[in-house]
Amino acid sequence: MSSNKAIVSSFVEGAPPGELADVIADIKALTSSTPNLINELGPAFEKYNEEQFTTVKLPGGSQPVIISSHNSLGDGRYYDTESASSFAFDHATQKASGVQSHVLEGAQTDLVNSTLKSLGSYVKEHFPNAVYGVYPIEDDSRLAVIIVANKYSPNNFWNGRWRSLYIFDPASGALEGSIKVDVHYYEDGNVRLLTNKSVNASVSSGTGAGIAKEISAAEKKYQEELNRSFTSLSEGAFKALRRQLPVTRQKVEWDKVASYRLGQDIGGGAARR
Amino acid sequence: MASVDPFDSALDLLRRLNPKHTADHLNNIITLNPSLAEDLLSSVDQPLTVRRCKQTGRDYLLCDYNRDGDSYRSPWSNQFDPPLYDGVGGAGGVGAGGASEGAGEGAVPGERVRKMEIKANEAFDVYRELYYEGGVSSVYFWNLDDGFAGVVLLKKASPSGDATSSGVWDSIHVFEASKRGRHTNYRLTSTVILSLATKGASLGEVDLSGNMTRQVEQNLLAENDESHIANIGRLVEDMELKMRNLLQEVYFGKAKDVVGDLRSIGTLSEGQRERDTQRELIGSMRR
Repeated sequence: MSSNKAIVSSFVEGAPPGELADVIADIKALTSSTPNLINELGPAFEKYNEEQFTTVKLPGGSQPVIISSHNSLGDGRYYDTESASSFAFDHATQKASGVQSHVLEGAQTDLVNSTLKSLGSYVKEHFPNAVYGVYPIEDDSRLAVIIVANKYSPNNFWNGRWRSLYIFDPASGALEGSIKVDVHYYEDGNVRLLTNKSVNASVSSGTGAGIAKEISAAEKKYQEELNRSFTSLSEGAFKALRRQLPVTRQKVEWDKVASYRLGQDIGGGAARR
Repeated sequence: MASVDPFDSALDLLRRLNPKHTADHLNNIITLNPSLAEDLLSSVDQPLTVRRCKQTGRDYLLCDYNRDGDSYRSPWSNQFDPPLYDGVGGAGGVGAGGASEGAGEGAVPGERVRKMEIKANEAFDVYRELYYEGGVSSVYFWNLDDGFAGVVLLKKASPSGDATSSGVWDSIHVFEASKRGRHTNYRLTSTVILSLATKGASLGEVDLSGNMTRQVEQNLLAENDESHIANIGRLVEDMELKMRNLLQEVYFGKAKDVVGDLRSIGTLSEGQRERDTQRELIGSMRR
């Protein structure tokens, strides 16, 4: 039973962007003889939501907010700095409730607010649909900065997610983090792009504007690099696997294929018309 | 709610989870629901395994269609490895009567179909060299009541010595050829499993993996057994050309477009200004 739980948990954690509900429906159909199994998935849902930076709209709120380990208050409650509120989050249904006021008070509050402001301008200019957050962590000694952008198009059989997480250390000015892209295409098939890029930068000014500027530069550079990698994979590894046409630039003459070897036509291409 | 067929749910799940680890997901689903094992193993395509033929020293590919228990039949020698203990198929296949029923596991073709299988292996070996310039191919045929069926397998891994990027291509073409009056009806189901990966200091890690399946059906004249092989050859060649273009479009075009939909390299306000200017321009030209 425990191994079944581990299997089903791994399915939840591997759900592509925007497809968790579909994966859960499949799991239910596959485990209909043990319907209680689905009730044991709480930890898997929590892990999925916190790692994928699931976004949720607060009751009465207009802007979605982020779920992550960095803005967790424990006991299933999370907080959002921009709206200065905390809320309960149901990991299975992905619904928020019990909104309360949560005003930041601490050494990094000013830096959090100025980073939010600068980051907001950057995100607005480069992400058509993203949610971001800045949270003081580790007893106010560091800042966690999160950006998550989702675009779901299930009618066209594709979904995508961009996630970035940065930890800023005000003492050293170090900004460390990672950018992850996850794209799923599944029309008569199943194709997945998964990327992971670590970022190491430093913000000498130590200001919110400086943090946003470094993030902006790192993400621009990364996206350009990623775009180049599509071209180099297409021209390199992909081409090396299978040619579009033989060297002869002609399709195989199947009626004469038995004589190819004798005629030494393979790869040469000189003799055959 | 109407009950859902667990088999369909298993296929749906495999269409969603990371295609790079389909074999693991498949085993996990079977652990959860063992009654699906047989159906899933015969309908879910997985990357092909290469084995060396002990008799001829040539490589061949393993799949459900040349399997009998734990043994696999080499298309080059027609021998099972390890040999079947009861001697069936031991000396170049059983008689035409015994093995023709039941396409699938361990089916050994009858004499006429085995002759075609030998020719098809030779033909696709040429095809493999022309298009793949390496790799391994195998063709397995089996008898049907009103014709025959087969699978054409091709596998190529791109140079493993290249440290920065790598790739593996697996083609699985399953067909049925049935007599329909003067014509033969060919039904082809093709799957390509393509895995690509690259990494670098400024790029990090990129993995592009997946599979796509397409089907085609055609009625063609086949005057003799050679023309069957030519017909199948053309069908597979056209399908692979189509699928290679499709894979190129999805792996490198679609994936890049979706990343661009998530994040814009240029600023969005500039993009909006450009669109506005263009709209004004078009508007002024219409006036």
